[in-house]
Amino acid sequence: MTATRITIDPLTRVEGHLKFETRIENGVVASARTSGMLFRGIEKALIGYDPRTALQLTQRVCGVCPYAHAEAAAMALEDAMGFRPNTNGQLLRNLIVGAYQVQDCLLHFYQLSALDFIDVTAVLEYRGADPGLTAMRDWVRSETSSQRIFPAAPFLPRYKGDFLKDKEANLSAVHNYLESFAVMASLHKMVALFGGKSPHPVAIEAGGVTTRPTINNLAQYRTLLNQVERFVHSCYREDILAVSKAFPGYFKEGRGYGNFLSFPYFPDSSGKNHLFSGGATIEGRYTALDLNAITEDHTYSYYKNKSGAGIRPLGTNRLEPLDWKEFQREEQLPDGKYSWSRAPRYGGKVMETGAAARVVNTYHSGRNPGLTRLVDQLNRDLGIGLKDYNSVLGRHLSRYITVSLLLKRLKEQVEQVQPGVLGFSEKEVPRNAKGIGITEASRGALGHWVEIDNKGLIKNYEMVVPTTWNMGPRDASGQPGAVEMMLIGARIADPANPLELARIVRSADPCVACAVH
Amino acid sequence: MYQLVIAAGAAPLLSFDELLAAEANPSSAGWSRPDLVWLQGAGCSGCSTSFLNVEQITILDFLTYFTRLLYHPNLSSTTGEQVPQILNKLAASNKAYILIMEGAIPVAMPHACMMADLPIGDWVGRLASKASICIAAGTCAASGGVSKMAGTLTGAAALDDFLRQRGIKTPLVNLPACPMHPEHLVYTLLHFIKSKSLPDLDDARRPRQFFTHSVHERCPRYPAFQARDFAQRIGEEGCLLDLGCQGPVTYNDCVAIGYCGNTNNCVRAGHPCIGCAGELFPRPRLYHTHDDPKIKTGIIVKKS
Repeated sequence: MTATRITIDPLTRVEGHLKFETRIENGVVASARTSGMLFRGIEKALIGYDPRTALQLTQRVCGVCPYAHAEAAAMALEDAMGFRPNTNGQLLRNLIVGAYQVQDCLLHFYQLSALDFIDVTAVLEYRGADPGLTAMRDWVRSETSSQRIFPAAPFLPRYKGDFLKDKEANLSAVHNYLESFAVMASLHKMVALFGGKSPHPVAIEAGGVTTRPTINNLAQYRTLLNQVERFVHSCYREDILAVSKAFPGYFKEGRGYGNFLSFPYFPDSSGKNHLFSGGATIEGRYTALDLNAITEDHTYSYYKNKSGAGIRPLGTNRLEPLDWKEFQREEQLPDGKYSWSRAPRYGGKVMETGAAARVVNTYHSGRNPGLTRLVDQLNRDLGIGLKDYNSVLGRHLSRYITVSLLLKRLKEQVEQVQPGVLGFSEKEVPRNAKGIGITEASRGALGHWVEIDNKGLIKNYEMVVPTTWNMGPRDASGQPGAVEMMLIGARIADPANPLELARIVRSADPCVACAVH
Repeated sequence: MYQLVIAAGAAPLLSFDELLAAEANPSSAGWSRPDLVWLQGAGCSGCSTSFLNVEQITILDFLTYFTRLLYHPNLSSTTGEQVPQILNKLAASNKAYILIMEGAIPVAMPHACMMADLPIGDWVGRLASKASICIAAGTCAASGGVSKMAGTLTGAAALDDFLRQRGIKTPLVNLPACPMHPEHLVYTLLHFIKSKSLPDLDDARRPRQFFTHSVHERCPRYPAFQARDFAQRIGEEGCLLDLGCQGPVTYNDCVAIGYCGNTNNCVRAGHPCIGCAGELFPRPRLYHTHDDPKIKTGIIVKKS
């Protein structure tokens, strides 16, 4: 038996500072450790601030999915206020978060993941007249034939591996990679129309959305939505299907526990009838959501406090980070702490969150016939089943399903907004109150818990974030985290070019700034 | 919109159009594409995603024509040990390059931000000392921002403070705003490429043409302020000072150029300015109701 270690640090094309280590035995991953290597401590720094600031400041936890933190923070404070936004408030919030979620899914597929599958050097053989592809071809040609020390950065160097071979599919994907920048900018404009700006839309407040809808800004939104829809249906869909058909093995690779957690997401104007159902699928059985089942463990996280049996949200108002000496000592220990991320558990179980969880749970709940039809159709076309969503390509496909259903719902809801009617009502910050806000960020189930003191200031704040679920380390009982489990059992063709591992970790779209916050 | 702003400024300021026109024929203009390295410290990647919204040039042109992006954490194919290899090779070479820093640097807790087994400060120190110029992209890099908010423990430092602590004298440009305006970065880079010098900077090392005026001075609601017409609730037309607006203490051109290709900005969206480009961002209260009993007059001057 031969054993080797592969450490990838940093893993690029994810948000933030991610490191992971694997131990390979006979070409198969035997054990894995994923580490979030950035700690800021924003969550507990919020103590003493005005609760309304949390809506702006928790967005800065993540510059890729700030909208979801704004929404969760607003919902938590509204829960403490005993308040729900009016029809326009809910609809405008949906128009902001929906457009942003679509942007984030495109960013994940094209900018963060596609370069693991498509072969950029295929443009060298391009013979057509598309200006983008021609420019790209001439540039790659001149770069690769030059004497530069880093030719064709940032596209090279890269791991060697089994990239897409179909020339046309490669060219189309490179074209769409370039095209997607403009589409994502359009989606950010849609966010900004009602959010004020993007990233970090300012207009989501407890009470609704501060932007007054007008015939003009609604028309602009509609126009941009139509452009985005064309790209999604003609390009994103085709690229997802091309990769799915070219790499069918990746519907089997990257299998995790198969336990899925999701929160209800994207309601109608009354705040009910969500497009995606919340709940938990454990060992194939779907059950309704129980927020009381959530705890966080930090046995293997860089904090001084004893972890104990797992802490409920708001169960502690202080986690002492290790100092530099303690950190270095842990790094030397064979079984030491290895991540700033904590390890959330649901009834003690490790759960995967994200697009696949959202799709599988909604399918099981049977509450969205449109989703059931789309999933059934894709499964037939690709020759896969629901269990295959627990895989690298299952996660990518689920993001497309999310985008496709969201666009349809956004088209309906933009027509329901009443121009001229403010979607915001003022409400005082309560004293001695608690609130919970749950939604789905692009990366999955996101919860904010707020506790307000007798002066109306934050007494305690807790964020349990999708990447914390996915990228968290082992817990006291030694259960590997969700992504760690996805890596275990993966087969590596060439340890010097562990492209397979990078594909698996990126499929979960980790965001370290979110996970540790 | 840019042309309007620039026409109103001092004569030697260059517009985007002028800078772009100057690049039309690179060989005769005598410039070469500069190498860029983009590092992320304690931040959120929001300035990177904001950068992708740039409209004056395409990302393709930026990558293939104007600059050479040797490393970017979110865009590079390169991963794992290839990353320190590239950075080490660059630091050991005598090539000129520009360092773009996003995020703050945790000085009191170096282990709070690690890359390739080293504190991010070690990478920044090595690369900044040999860079032609450093650009602090966004509020965290320019003044600490949310990463340095009261209550945090990591001792997050702005790039300027960090470089001073290490005795590194590389010229620096601060581009605050949370997120950074992509126009500010691209303009600064083009200016450096074309004239081999930095744009005119103020005492806080911010380009004057973007940061001379306060948000308040150019606010579309300024006439309401002059008429002493103060909104008492969100949705009213008046000046937003009574709701916590930080426009008077925040210097940025966001009210003139907007965000996302001038699609919108905060005050146009009916929300008070939260001061995201200010050195003291985030202050302990952002938006508040006009009669919030918690407000003791401080930075926010209430009408009498």
